[in-house]
Amino acid sequence: MNESKKENEMTLNIVSIIVAVIMLFPIYWMISCSFKTDADIFAKVPTLLPVHWTFDAYVSQVAGGSTIFRSFFNSIIIALSTMLLSCVLAIPGAYGLARFRMKGSRIFIMLFLVTQMLPATLILTPLYLIFNKLNLIDTYFAPILADMTIGIPFVILILRTYFLSLPKELEDSAKIDGCNTFTSFLKIMMPISTPGIIMCAVFSFLFAWGDLAYSLTFVSSENMRSMTAGIYNFIGKYGIQWNCIMAYGTVITIPVIVIFVFLQKYIVSGLTTGAIKG
Amino acid sequence: MKTYFTKKNREGYYFVLPSLIFMLALVGFPIVYNFVLSFNNTDVITIGQHSEKFVGLQNYIDLFKISTMRTSIINTIVFTAGSIILQFVLGFALALLFNKNFRLAKPIRGILLISWMVPVTVTALLSKFMLSSSGGIINEILLNLHFISKPLDFLVSLNMAMPSVIGINVWIGIPFNMILLTTGLSNIPVSYYEAAEVDGANAFVRFFKITLPLMKASMLSVIVLGVIYTFKVFDLIFVSTGGGPVDATEVMSTYAYRLSFTQYSFSKGAAVANILFLMLFAVGLIYIRMVGKDEVME
Repeated sequence: MNESKKENEMTLNIVSIIVAVIMLFPIYWMISCSFKTDADIFAKVPTLLPVHWTFDAYVSQVAGGSTIFRSFFNSIIIALSTMLLSCVLAIPGAYGLARFRMKGSRIFIMLFLVTQMLPATLILTPLYLIFNKLNLIDTYFAPILADMTIGIPFVILILRTYFLSLPKELEDSAKIDGCNTFTSFLKIMMPISTPGIIMCAVFSFLFAWGDLAYSLTFVSSENMRSMTAGIYNFIGKYGIQWNCIMAYGTVITIPVIVIFVFLQKYIVSGLTTGAIKG
Repeated sequence: MKTYFTKKNREGYYFVLPSLIFMLALVGFPIVYNFVLSFNNTDVITIGQHSEKFVGLQNYIDLFKISTMRTSIINTIVFTAGSIILQFVLGFALALLFNKNFRLAKPIRGILLISWMVPVTVTALLSKFMLSSSGGIINEILLNLHFISKPLDFLVSLNMAMPSVIGINVWIGIPFNMILLTTGLSNIPVSYYEAAEVDGANAFVRFFKITLPLMKASMLSVIVLGVIYTFKVFDLIFVSTGGGPVDATEVMSTYAYRLSFTQYSFSKGAAVANILFLMLFAVGLIYIRMVGKDEVME
């Protein structure tokens, strides 16, 4: 019995490793090829590891007058601002919907649900014309404001569920101690909701970090471009220099992997509460 | 007691209104504006001359005369159906695997999510590289295993482009489906399976009599959510094929984008986006009804 159980465990471990290798191979391949020379990439027999390790693809991004640093910086600004502003607006919103019985609560929740499902292309054209009128095209504000529309409904819906799961008694006792609704929200609820808030921050950051449609459409000058728009334009400009494109892609992906490694449990629980209810 | 509640409840608006107003301004208003646009003849010329005028349903009528419009609707449906079926089945298979109790189950299940998290723009370029017919690794592997005798034009041939982009999307979608379905699976009490085993039910019977019926709710929401996310696909196709070759992978999102930002026919782009919106809305209603039944909605 014990013997066969061990064998079973062994098989399952091996199968899952094979699955992981197949699923993650593309990411490995991207990173590996970013260190290859152009010749090695098109070698007759492709190698798993670079034969001649080189940082050329990375160096040429910096040296070739390409604006990868600038783009990285732009993406960071856009994603961090989106994250911060989304949280500032959405955390109280989620709290309000979780803790108060208001006229219209149900409709508000529906509205957030509906906006979460909207395609970016639906508001792309009208927003472009509106931003154009307001002279916001080619500023950080345009992609930030647009990216917030993805983050806010998502954050509100998952954080509301999260707030509902916290005991109400805490605030009641805070009230007895003389806190009003706002101070008890700030002093009592916020600190104990850290996991929920991290979850929201991560998702709104990632949405903005990965966005292409908004940043490509609302920003035209090269030095204002985000990384995703940068890599997209890179192909048009330099043709297919795969090692450079893979290096660029690696730079975009590394922050995502770092976030994933440190905040994995928040991402998983955010996904499951955000998507499946009950 | 009663006054306490009304005062307290009014305070709720202070919390909700900022985000609500933001969303109404940046999503609500644009949606209305999008409808208005789609009934006008706004393009780069009429905007310049301030001569936009109401044309009723003309844009919609014109669009349906264009074959690209019809193709893009069909492509969107094919892309969605193909992606959902494959990623659901494969995601479910992996969920069953990782729901088993073994040492690497949790860590590997988590790591797999990375492919879902990589920005889609990067995924699309990476696939373009890997599927390339000159030196792409997938072709090299297939050639070396003698599955094919000459490289396949995955993303650039008329027949293979759509299956290829579906394949890429499935790669992105599998972990998402898997994680959500694993959560559903873990909610099924182990005692059910134990009892069934005592009664002599084999794995096959247990799957169809216990797992599937109890997973109905989570399966349905995974599928509906998947449909919503997949139907509005933009980045993946825009970057990997740009809708080509010859409209073979043109979906409604990319077509709307092309009309608005390559041809600068803003009204036509808005009209296509609207059709997409209405189709999504129908699916969305199912989702909202599902969530609406949830006790959390109160």
